[in-house]
Order: sequence, then C-alpha cells, then structure tokens
Amino acid sequence: MSDVDSEDLFERAGAALRGPSPGDERARAALVEAIRAESRRPRTAHRGAMSPWWIAVAAAAVAFAAGLGTGRAMDRRSPSPATSVASDSSQRHVEFVFVAPAARNVALVGDFNGWDATATPMRRSDGHATWSVSVPLAAGRHVYAFVVDGNDWVADPQAPLSPEQWFGQRNSVVVVGDRRS
Amino acid sequence: MTDDALVARAVDGDVDAYAALAERYYGSCARMARRMLRNDADAEDVVQETFLRAFRAIRRFERGREFRVWLFTILVNQCRTAATSRKRRQLRFSNDETALASAADERPVAVIEETSAVAAAVDSLEPLLREAFVLKYVEGLEYTEMATITGAGISALKMRVKRACDALRPKLEAIYHE
Repeated sequence: MSDVDSEDLFERAGAALRGPSPGDERARAALVEAIRAESRRPRTAHRGAMSPWWIAVAAAAVAFAAGLGTGRAMDRRSPSPATSVASDSSQRHVEFVFVAPAARNVALVGDFNGWDATATPMRRSDGHATWSVSVPLAAGRHVYAFVVDGNDWVADPQAPLSPEQWFGQRNSVVVVGDRRS
Repeated sequence: MTDDALVARAVDGDVDAYAALAERYYGSCARMARRMLRNDADAEDVVQETFLRAFRAIRRFERGREFRVWLFTILVNQCRTAATSRKRRQLRFSNDETALASAADERPVAVIEETSAVAAAVDSLEPLLREAFVLKYVEGLEYTEMATITGAGISALKMRVKRACDALRPKLEAIYHE
C-alpha cells in the first residue's frame, strides 16, 4: 500500500472516531448545568485562612538549568536546599523552588492543581535565577513537576521520584506530614 | 461568534459565553478522553472536571492564545492524572458499559461495528502513541499545537504518530478491506 493510500486509511479511521456518542447530549447538558452551578458558588480567599505560617520542614531540591528558552538543552544542574513547608491547623504551605536562569516562565504542576500549567505560575526572585511559589497542601503524598516555558516538563532532580510512570515520565514526590507528626 | 469573542466575554464574567464554549468543545474533549481512558464514565468525569478547572482559571487566560489548545492542555493532564489514579482502584465493568452504550446507539449496525473495531484498534496502542494519533488524526491538530498540549517536542510527536500508524495499518486494512 502506498503512503497516499495509508494516509487515507488513517484519515478514515480518524473520521470514524469523530462521530457523536450516544451519551454526549445528556453529558453536555449536565456540564452546562455544572458550569452554571459553579458560577453561583461564593469565592473564598485561601491566603487569609492559612496564616500564621509555621515553618516545619526544609527538604528537596533545586535544579540549575542553563540554556532554557534559547533552544539549547539543559546542560548542568546542581542541588541546593530549597523546598520548605509551613502550616496552619489543616494544611501546610510548601514552597517550591527551581533555578532556571534562562527560563522565560516556570510553572508548578501537580496532582494538587490538576496538572494545569496555567494554575500555579512561579515567581522569579530579584537578581537571581530562582523561581519559587508557595502552595497550601493537605497532609499526604503529592506528585509534582515543573513546566519551563510552557513546554519542558522537568522533575525536581533532588526530590524522590514517583514509582509510577506517566506516559514514560516520572515526576517528583513531596510528602506533607500533619501538624502532630 | 468566534472563540476569541466568546473567550473575551467569558473572561469578563459572562457565564453564557463560557457555556457556549463548553457546548462547542464538549464533543472533541469527550472523544479525546474516551480514547485515552477507554471508559465512558471516567471520560465524562474528566471532561467535566476539565471544563470546570478552565472556568475557574479563565480570568488568567492569555489573550492571543488559542482556547482549544489551552483547553486540551488541561484535558490531557487531567487524563494522565485519571489514568494513574485509576490503576489503584478496582476496574469498572467496562464490557457492560460498552454494551449499554451500544444499546442506546441509533446508528446503523454496520457503522457501529466498524467504529467499534477502529476504536478497539486505536485503544490497543500504547498511551503515548494513542495520544499522538488521536490528536493528529481524530482532532486534526497541527504538530505545533500538539507540542504545546503534550509538552513533547515536534520530532518526538512525529515519531509517535509514525509508530502508531505502523501498528495500526494492518488492523485498519483488515477492518476496511474485509
């Protein structure tokens, strides 16, 4: 079979899968209703409820990434203390730190924000190549990674890696203890 | 109304505009999630969560970006999270669900059978290859858009699509040339 015929084969398969599914109309209506319900929910401010912070743990990692954003590969990484944990009675603030001097933007993604690269942007500190963000996390195990320039997913090289692979990639793990621990 | 116009209204707090975007893109998101999770109930949950997360974040949407690509980026990540967490819980009765869904399908039997066979062939691919094939051939995205959505490089995505096509070719030939 020629490449042209093969292309037709795959296009035909794609078209077959584009058809509607029997439950779509019901699910679409339920979704619109859920969006309207969400729009009526009152918004609450997280930050006021979290203070005072309680510094509890300092552990984890920093990656030194050179060349990010310029099309070159990351060529060197070196560790230094970075991620710290603070808490109130129900949650702890975990500060994630990542060093990427050439990055234009860095975001934190994890199971706590739905792996949404737009949800938790990190801030660059003045005069340094360090990016950081503080996130309130419930006690327990959390999996996370950094997204550099919206494209490169990078595990924290100094933190433990998750045993499970997601599409061939392993992410980092932070364990947040409760206040009594 | 264009996506850009609806997004601009949604950013300004117009719920109807966001609902219109949700209606517009529900189908493509549901298709993607069904193929990635291979379970209709899980896919429906993931798609709803994706749209609600996007709704909560819409005020941070960067004007000039393409809404569909932004939405699919969230969706793909939600699918990855769901696929991982699902391994830790008991499998659903997927065969029964498929049978129930087919019973409510009003399309001709031959069309249902052909679509089911194609879906089964695509579902047999490794997750990375399946993701790339569906984005390319089912959703018709460009490689640059796929790169933004998946976080993978364009050359890697082209290789995944090629491997997916190599694996699918004999199965699709058997389906269409029987």
